Amino acid sequence: MNQKIFLLAGLAVVLVIAAAAPFIASSNPDGLESAFFGIFGAKEIQGSKLSEEHAKAAEDKVVTITGNEFSFDSPFPDYSIEGLSKFGEVTAIIIGTILVLGIAFGLSKMIFRAG
Amino acid sequence: MHIPDAFIPLPQGAVYWVIALVFIALSLRWARKEMREDRIPLVAVLAAGIFAIQAINVPIPWGTSGHMMGAALAAIVLGSPFAAVFVLTLVLIVQGVLFGDGGLTTMGANIINMGVIGGFIGFYSYRGLFRLFRTIYPAAFIAGWLSLFIAALACAVEMAVAGTFPLELGLLSMGLYHAVIGVIEGGITAVAIYLIHTARPDIMAETPGVPST
Repeated sequence: MNQKIFLLAGLAVVLVIAAAAPFIASSNPDGLESAFFGIFGAKEIQGSKLSEEHAKAAEDKVVTITGNEFSFDSPFPDYSIEGLSKFGEVTAIIIGTILVLGIAFGLSKMIFRAG
Repeated sequence: MHIPDAFIPLPQGAVYWVIALVFIALSLRWARKEMREDRIPLVAVLAAGIFAIQAINVPIPWGTSGHMMGAALAAIVLGSPFAAVFVLTLVLIVQGVLFGDGGLTTMGANIINMGVIGGFIGFYSYRGLFRLFRTIYPAAFIAGWLSLFIAALACAVEMAVAGTFPLELGLLSMGLYHAVIGVIEGGITAVAIYLIHTARPDIMAETPGVPST
């Protein structure tokens, strides 16, 4: 497989994963969030039910513990585009994937040339 | 295990950033010295693939989900733990800045956990296991599992230092969830190495058992 075909085949595989992601990804909290909710009483560590009300309280409480109030409005929060539901999620993840590919390719090429 | 801003006090976040920057500088030095032109597409595809696969949270028991990190994969395929730091840093910057996945003040900690710890544990455990058992895929699976599990325990320790989690409960719950998520990490690491090795054995790094030709 030559270099160009490898890049294209790789890109194809990666884009399929990116487009499928919003349909197959679970919306359950991830490991760190789940541990956080468990420790802060919004769910049982080994239980599956999350209390929205306690979850919100937990998020407020952790800010008072750490004092880190920094917040930042990202353009595509939680891999979504406002008002575009699933289509927005697919688009957001594909934009991110192509961007990462471009940055990694460009930066590697730049470093290679400089070296 | 992307740590959001609120989970770590700012001064501690700054300390993690300084440590992360040292490893980022070392990873750039790795790139300058070791980057081969024919391997640039592999680096790019790996980075994009790791970004895409991190968007897939797989459900696990206990109302929880998880995704692979990809650090062990990048380190094994590209032949250096610094390759994982290089790739994961790019992925984490895009995730944090564009998608709000992982904080900005905590990005240093996330780079340390997923890039540095994930990369070093993944790379050296793969090497050690391969030398012992002379078999690629089981070694890659265990290295992937271990890289995620140890990174999660490191994250729990950081949470304890931050005052966010009590140490013991943090280690237990993070360990429990990530012992399961690690199976995903190990499985995809082994399968991806098989696929890349089949398509282009010549561009894989000369890690033991993954000959370059």
